[in-house]
Amino acid sequence: MAAFAGVVLAGGRSSRMGSPKAALEWHGSTLLRRTVGIVARAAGGPVVVVRAAGQDLPDLPPGTIVVTDPREGKGPLQGIAAGLAALAGQAEAAFVCSTDLPFLHPAFVRRVLRVVHDGHADVCLPIARGYPQPLAAAYRTSLADTAERLVKEDRLRPAFLFEQCVVQRLDDAALKTDPVLAALDPELDSVLNVNEPADYQAARTRPAPEVTVQLFGSLVRSGQPRGPRAVRAATVAAAADAVGLVFDRHVTAALNGDQITRDGTAPLAAGDTVFFLSADAGG
Amino acid sequence: MTAGGYFGQALVADVTAGTCQTVPLPEDVLRGYIGGAGLGVWLLHRLGPPGVDPLSPAAPLAFVFSPLVGTPLTTSAKFALVAKSPLTGMLTDALASSQFAIAGKLTGHDAIVVRGRAPRLSLLLVDGDGVRLADAAHLAGLTAAQADAALRDELGRGWRVAAIGPAGERGVRYATISHDGRHAGRGGLGAVMGAKNLKAIAVRAATKVATADPGAVLAAARDLRERSFGPATAKYRELGTLANLLAFNAISTLPTRNFQAATFEGAERLAAEPAADASPDGQPGGGEVEGMRRVARSSCASCTIGCEHIYRVGPGKKVRVEYENVFALGPMCGVSDPQAVLAASARCDDLGIDTISAGGTIAWAMECAERGLIDAPWLRFGDSAALLRALDEIAAGTPLGALLAEGSKRASGTVGGDSGSFALHVKGLEMPGYEPRTLQSMALGLAVNARGADHNRSGAYEADLSGDLDRLAGGDAHVAAAIETEDRAAIMDSLILCKFLRGVFTDPFTEWAGLLSAVTGWDVCAAELRETARRIVMAKRVYNIREGWHPADDWLPGRLLSEPLTLPSGRVAELTASRLRAMIDSYYKMRGLDSEGRPDHTFVDNLRLA
Repeated sequence: MAAFAGVVLAGGRSSRMGSPKAALEWHGSTLLRRTVGIVARAAGGPVVVVRAAGQDLPDLPPGTIVVTDPREGKGPLQGIAAGLAALAGQAEAAFVCSTDLPFLHPAFVRRVLRVVHDGHADVCLPIARGYPQPLAAAYRTSLADTAERLVKEDRLRPAFLFEQCVVQRLDDAALKTDPVLAALDPELDSVLNVNEPADYQAARTRPAPEVTVQLFGSLVRSGQPRGPRAVRAATVAAAADAVGLVFDRHVTAALNGDQITRDGTAPLAAGDTVFFLSADAGG
Repeated sequence: MTAGGYFGQALVADVTAGTCQTVPLPEDVLRGYIGGAGLGVWLLHRLGPPGVDPLSPAAPLAFVFSPLVGTPLTTSAKFALVAKSPLTGMLTDALASSQFAIAGKLTGHDAIVVRGRAPRLSLLLVDGDGVRLADAAHLAGLTAAQADAALRDELGRGWRVAAIGPAGERGVRYATISHDGRHAGRGGLGAVMGAKNLKAIAVRAATKVATADPGAVLAAARDLRERSFGPATAKYRELGTLANLLAFNAISTLPTRNFQAATFEGAERLAAEPAADASPDGQPGGGEVEGMRRVARSSCASCTIGCEHIYRVGPGKKVRVEYENVFALGPMCGVSDPQAVLAASARCDDLGIDTISAGGTIAWAMECAERGLIDAPWLRFGDSAALLRALDEIAAGTPLGALLAEGSKRASGTVGGDSGSFALHVKGLEMPGYEPRTLQSMALGLAVNARGADHNRSGAYEADLSGDLDRLAGGDAHVAAAIETEDRAAIMDSLILCKFLRGVFTDPFTEWAGLLSAVTGWDVCAAELRETARRIVMAKRVYNIREGWHPADDWLPGRLLSEPLTLPSGRVAELTASRLRAMIDSYYKMRGLDSEGRPDHTFVDNLRLA
């Protein structure tokens, strides 16, 4: 059983946005793809996407678990219950979030999950930028039954769940005791969501995150330096493009030295390092 | 007989009596085991007495060719050396490339098997005039390269030589057999040859071999040649396998100081690439190793890739440098001085010993010395002089050198204490430069492989580095991937094609079936080759079982299962015993073996070994 997993709620109606948030374009990919990718690599375990019945989803990374919310219109607690239930026996705790967090940073996810892992809390609830963030919080998967019962009782707000378990709340200062988070997301933009077209446009006009890229072996072309370079890129493919590299089947990328990927849509966050390697890595 | 690719016979030479015989190789055996490593294991089943001491006269040493040898297909000039390993007591097969493969096959044999023990140090000659022994006393103590050069002068044109160095003569358990500067490196084949009192074997072509469809073979050769110039092989052409070093260091896969770490602070000094601060015009800016290279670049016979990068190591002295020798004699021993690492590599070549086992055994001894288990206070990680002195002691046969000549498994048995827990080997074969905790498909591949800790018969690291699965969380997907790469290796090692070509094949089993069909005239399909791969892998396992394999031999050293690694990203790479056990159990199940890793009798009967 993995220590951590993720749940991304994609089944909202997106009524104010006017189109499904999950499919919103994001630097050549989609908003849902980004959120799933960030949660997956921060959690290090399975990621569940909870969708509404009949809802089409954009392409997701291989291995993503998709479950259908059995009841419509019951709000986030229903999605939390469905997502946690899908992880029974697979993980100790899950970071649960909505789709529409375009600046969610892996360091935020790890900071929140670590509280549940290290202490006795059932839920780690950030109080970030002045508001409780139940859809950017960590929950023990064992809360699935309680959440399900509350939904059946029509007690649909996450606050009802918090009454039934041990909750540790983290304000901005507490969140930023993590030096990595404080350095890479000082304004806690991780919890900024986009609800209306104007929010989305504003988010989309922000520059891509600054990341560090390094090429290895024969990928370094004659005349190029091979040392690390800072570029702005929101995806692996964009990082490759920024240094004049074609990200094809002969190339792989290692994110921050551990996660290997050939998926050009894999999202990047501020402070990431991307190593590009020859796909034929043996010999 | 087939329409092409084979002679349908093996030559078996008995160097005790100076006699020889030919053994027919039926078509169903050739089709079932192909050649190279596959045909080699079949020969070992047939010609090796059960339980034989690998260094006894009765133990066979097989030089096994393959159907593609002699064709214009790139990288096909290869042969397999197959024997019972004096290091592991199990099967070992080492591949090597050179004109020896072509000349050896064109003696008119698909394999040359040597048994017995010559009365004195000898040379075995095989050509169209037959087989004969000659005195080789004048070659005693020479390096393999010196012996090769001397014999070519003596014998004249057309002769190709495979020889052992001083270590093979003296029975170092990881001695190599060398030819044209290439080495059949792993498992101690040089010690087997030395135990037969054979300094060298020389072969000369006497005939030709047909192909069933010469037009198709030529077309395939042209196509493969073109593809071999593409991006899939660029790494090998431009930098050679040493390009792995910095890449592996970046992803915490570079075993360091006897696997106590997976990154090496001295990696930059040993890199093949120009220094990181190279000027924009690309001129080297201080890369020490890079500054010593480009003396020459070379290819094996019949190869269009050209992965060999020759480095200068002192006045008039050159050495072929690859990732594994730099890993084993550099980071594994904590040594970052490139002059020392290359000098150590050249010394291994001169002695005729496997650099991986040499470096692995010395690294183990360094840790023993630091823990006070060996009385050698000078033997310290990171000490260049200590590395070179340890090799000299192996050469001289001092008490410490004699201990190290046994390999880390046996040596840890002699030293005792807890030294076995940090002897990094599988089945007695020292670990290559792939960190199992951060490559967990590879962890399984290393544990279950017939040859022991081996990166060529199990290329499961390909799966770990593909991005298709989480390399830090081994599970069933990793098992399936390890089986797939093991099967691919079984076919490539039997056809034989160089693994550096693997990236050019988009539908490998189908394409390999096409090559084999064109050469032999058989109507081979991908499904048949997949079955053949499974047969070869299982035949190796059955051989090991016959020779005393125990389920506990399919396992990894304790350090790898008890000391997690923390990556620079903060993730922890942990390979627990229970996770490895689960993967091995799953491997057995997917391979159709019982819970202890043994096939049933029906399965064994179908292997056509009896």
